[in-house]
Amino acid sequence: MNNKNMVTKSSPLYGEMKKFLGKITYTLIATVILLVFLSPLAYMATTSLKSRDMIAQADGPILPMAPVTFEYKEREHPVLKVPDESGNIAELAVVKKGREESIFVDPQNPEAGEIVWTGRWRTLEPVREFAPQWDNFSYAWTQLNMPRLLRNTLIIAFVSMVGTIISSTMVAYGFSRFRIPGKDLLFLILIATIMLPAFVTIVPTYVLFASIGWTGTFLPLIVPHFFGNAYNVFLLRQFFMSIPKALDEAAMIDGAGPMRRLIYIILPQSVPVLVAVGIFHFIWAWNDFFGPLLYLSTKPELQPIAIGIQRFNAQFSARPHLVQASAFWGMFLPLILFFLAQKVFMKGIVFTGVDK
Amino acid sequence: MLSELNSKNLRFKRGKLGSLAKREAWIGMAFIAPWIVGFFLWTFGPMLASLLFSFTDFNLLRREEIQWIGLDNFRRFFTDPLVRQAVKVSLTFAFIALPVSVIQPILMAALLNDGRLWARRLFTTLFYMPAVVPFVSAVYVWSGIMNVQTGWFNRALAVLGVQGPDWLGSQVWIYRSLVMIGLWGVGNMMLMTLATMQGVPTELYEAAKVDGAGPLTQFRHITLPLITPVIFYNLVLTSIGIVQYFLVPFVLKGPNGDPGNATWFYGMHLYKEAFSYSNMGYGATMAWMLFIFVMIFTVILFSTQKYWVYYAGGED
Amino acid sequence: MSKVKYLVVALLLLLGLMLVACGGDTEKADPVVEEPAAAEEVEEPAAEEVEEPAEEAVEEPAEEPAAVEATEEPVADEAMGDKVQVRWFVGLGTGADPEQVEQEQALVDEFNATHDDIELVVEFVDNSQAPDQLKTQVAAGDPPDIVGPVGQSGVNDFDGLFLDLEPYLADYDWSDFDADSIDAYRMDEQGLLGIPFAVYPSMIFVNRDLFDEAGLDYPPQVYGEPYADGDAWTVEKYEELAMLLTVDANGNDATSPDFDPENIVQFGAHTQWTDPRGQLAALFGADNFIDADGNAVISDRWRDGLNWYYEGMHEKHFMPNSTYQGSDLLAAGNPFDSGNVAMAHVHLWYKCCLGNVPNWDMAVVPSYNDAGDVTVKLHADTFRIFDATEHPEEAVVVLNWLTGEAAGDFLQIYGGFPARNSLQEDFISSLDEQFPQGVNWQVAIDGLAYPDIPNHESNLPNYAKAYDRIGAFQTLYETEPALDLNAEIDTLISDLDVIFHE
Repeated sequence: MNNKNMVTKSSPLYGEMKKFLGKITYTLIATVILLVFLSPLAYMATTSLKSRDMIAQADGPILPMAPVTFEYKEREHPVLKVPDESGNIAELAVVKKGREESIFVDPQNPEAGEIVWTGRWRTLEPVREFAPQWDNFSYAWTQLNMPRLLRNTLIIAFVSMVGTIISSTMVAYGFSRFRIPGKDLLFLILIATIMLPAFVTIVPTYVLFASIGWTGTFLPLIVPHFFGNAYNVFLLRQFFMSIPKALDEAAMIDGAGPMRRLIYIILPQSVPVLVAVGIFHFIWAWNDFFGPLLYLSTKPELQPIAIGIQRFNAQFSARPHLVQASAFWGMFLPLILFFLAQKVFMKGIVFTGVDK
Repeated sequence: MLSELNSKNLRFKRGKLGSLAKREAWIGMAFIAPWIVGFFLWTFGPMLASLLFSFTDFNLLRREEIQWIGLDNFRRFFTDPLVRQAVKVSLTFAFIALPVSVIQPILMAALLNDGRLWARRLFTTLFYMPAVVPFVSAVYVWSGIMNVQTGWFNRALAVLGVQGPDWLGSQVWIYRSLVMIGLWGVGNMMLMTLATMQGVPTELYEAAKVDGAGPLTQFRHITLPLITPVIFYNLVLTSIGIVQYFLVPFVLKGPNGDPGNATWFYGMHLYKEAFSYSNMGYGATMAWMLFIFVMIFTVILFSTQKYWVYYAGGED
Repeated sequence: MSKVKYLVVALLLLLGLMLVACGGDTEKADPVVEEPAAAEEVEEPAAEEVEEPAEEAVEEPAEEPAAVEATEEPVADEAMGDKVQVRWFVGLGTGADPEQVEQEQALVDEFNATHDDIELVVEFVDNSQAPDQLKTQVAAGDPPDIVGPVGQSGVNDFDGLFLDLEPYLADYDWSDFDADSIDAYRMDEQGLLGIPFAVYPSMIFVNRDLFDEAGLDYPPQVYGEPYADGDAWTVEKYEELAMLLTVDANGNDATSPDFDPENIVQFGAHTQWTDPRGQLAALFGADNFIDADGNAVISDRWRDGLNWYYEGMHEKHFMPNSTYQGSDLLAAGNPFDSGNVAMAHVHLWYKCCLGNVPNWDMAVVPSYNDAGDVTVKLHADTFRIFDATEHPEEAVVVLNWLTGEAAGDFLQIYGGFPARNSLQEDFISSLDEQFPQGVNWQVAIDGLAYPDIPNHESNLPNYAKAYDRIGAFQTLYETEPALDLNAEIDTLISDLDVIFHE
């Protein structure tokens, strides 16, 4: 795409400049769109750094600013900007609030005694300082019991990921490369399994797993993934169908069997999409809530992160700063993983074309 | 590419299954087998059971009193005013949300796919970020910034001198707000689209440039046709998801369909009947009616593939 | 390309291993390690069974009823040796918060160590998910033996599924309880369904700082006493104070003509965390939406009460409407603890959720008429045994332990006020340690003399649906500023009548 022969104006330098400016403009526009798109995350970030007091201030500032306080007679009192008759502003601590007049003390000079000021303290602007509450994160980490949640989640996510990649690849290969009577119907049944709302199959599914003694273990969350999954099979099938058949036909003429063709022709072209399926599955498993809830409700020590966060949110629902701090822990690992893996699977979850 | 399409027809005689074809069918079945086994092990039984439930008055808390009541649930289904309301709400929402959730990933991917963008990996990660925000936190964030009085949206609009709407409390605005919230959930689809775009062979664009095609023409005639398989995938899965949608409004607005039944989604009605009111029999009926509807819709979608979805490997 | 891939995989493996390693010493890691291995074994036969998948697989899930019966076996198998397993489900009420779980588990371990014949197994499910989870277990024929602690509203859905304890408690020593509190668990046709465990009277929580700022005296702390100015302590007086304690951003109170209802920064009153029946029972006497014949009704005083709440929110503005309740100003749903509400009617359990208001105290509930009548609505928690239990004897042993020997310890964990008279004194001294500003706990104890009968959480026919309908009505009148409220009340009552008779 970076075509070096596209300089149209006379001077090559001019062309380079124009290209450079074009990049700057484009990236700036993209940045603006990104900022708008992510603005709710900024709310999340600032909220997670606030204290309960800061959140409950009417029309409080957006950033985590704490009112400056001053200790007087063993209690903390807020410092406000108080104007005197001549309009000069003094920063004084209000030690006794009243509706029409309040008593202040000068934090710089408390010995000077109490100052009575007539007027409504609510109309005064408080003195604030930037005071991000980093402790929220460590508190959330401990309360969530993150090490245990991470361990459980990683076990469930990884083992089931391996299962779904192997099985979905095989099934998608079967659906995309072989003529099977009634294949379209079978494929429709595959898709149909995600059309029925899960609520009505919960009870019989629970009965099924309870009857084989699997409730209270990871098994119901892992084993079914070793049998292919509609989302992944569908995605892989779309991909395999976009790989031209020329190569595997050539291999077939050379006497390669179906398994060899899968391993030596299809898979090498599919590494990125397989990584993508892995990542998507990992993130899905990371956020999966209803399955673990159903089967692990009796075993808190085996529960994964989605349940931990939900439980935490329910417990601290009236403390938004903690809810958002916990969300940070829910996001950070998938994001790092995603950033690192991106290079591999961005090379192509490619449905089209041979050349990449 | 044309030659590939032809070669497909050469491989087999049409019509009866020759021994070669039989062999191929068996091998194919062998590959599909894990799913078939899994289907019968984990999925078929519960699906069948729920189908049977729909002909009974199964109450979750009175399992020993379960009775076969024939088509009563289905009769009730067609006269239930709340079903009518739920269908209306879900279709209204789908009507706005489906085009947006199909088109938005394409636009975002196109933005990220442009060669003029610096730090593309970083941008991609950041655009993807909302997709990993834990569900409940995301709902908190949105309800916080959409609060009429203290929310950021209306505070920002107030600075511009505009009186902001009641995002989550108005029966009109609630759908727009829900679609906005939904924009955060398209990360996976965006990525697949983006990756597909990056796989489009460069020489196609170069050839087009030589022919004097502008960026829009290139997008329309090269990029778009080549990403149709992923658009199709997205369309099918989003449609299935959207008719079952209700969790966001459920957490955001509570279990009563506020404001004024505007969030009484089909999935909500179903969940409430099946679990809150313990009427699993009727819940199963609702689920299977939805199933039939989605199935018909999907079959139609699949049959349209041949007109607009392009598979380089042939469709067999 | 592959370098990055290996890096990712290596990083995650490392992380996983690290976590398994650090987590391993605190938890029982054994089952965790085994399972993935088992999972892989299962996969193999599946891949080989290509030829005859259908017949073998179809059978298993198809025999649903058989599977249901089979569930009972693994339960029995799991019981170690001759121990009978008793399952205890926690989460319909309080009890499933992480720090509670740890302490509860410690007590349960102690129980198991001292009992050779019973193994007590606890299931902790977060409150918001507990009803669905429990329903799934009941529907699957796999219910727990004991459930609790849980109040009346938490078990209404499960009405009729609990064991009559009378035959098992023939020689029980009831002397430590008030007779009233036992009778609350005697149901006409179902017998005795619980042993009193925790009680939570209600009261007015007062933010003293906000009264000081307004220069007002605190409300009375003894039932029957008037307010400081000599006026009777009635709902009318309560409203008068609340108006003065409601302030906008410019410092005008709600009685001022300049008051700006769009910019309120402090509210005078709020009846917190309850439904309409609770709101009405709190300040307008005990009634119900159903009469003796099972028809939906509303008494005149409750109708007046609803009008009072409606005007308070939308016309007089001394109570937060639903938008204000959900805003950050009122701590997104915990209004009194935001520090911006002067008086809140809540139950004693609310001390769970106070951390932000340093100088709070209690006042008595105002009377709802000039005669000085007062109702102090009451919550009571206990444990119940499912009728379907296979080991009623053992479950009753556990129940006796929970409500007897171990009651003191559990009540500390739950913050519940003991129903046993002998435990009450210790409990109050522990509360004073927790809240050193000096709270007059006697207000709570005195309130126990004025319980709401019928209880505001009592069961209704078709409970879940009726409850939803009442909840929808609450949202409506707390949200909409221009309602014909009395017409809406009439619609509510006629809708409820249909639901009751469905």
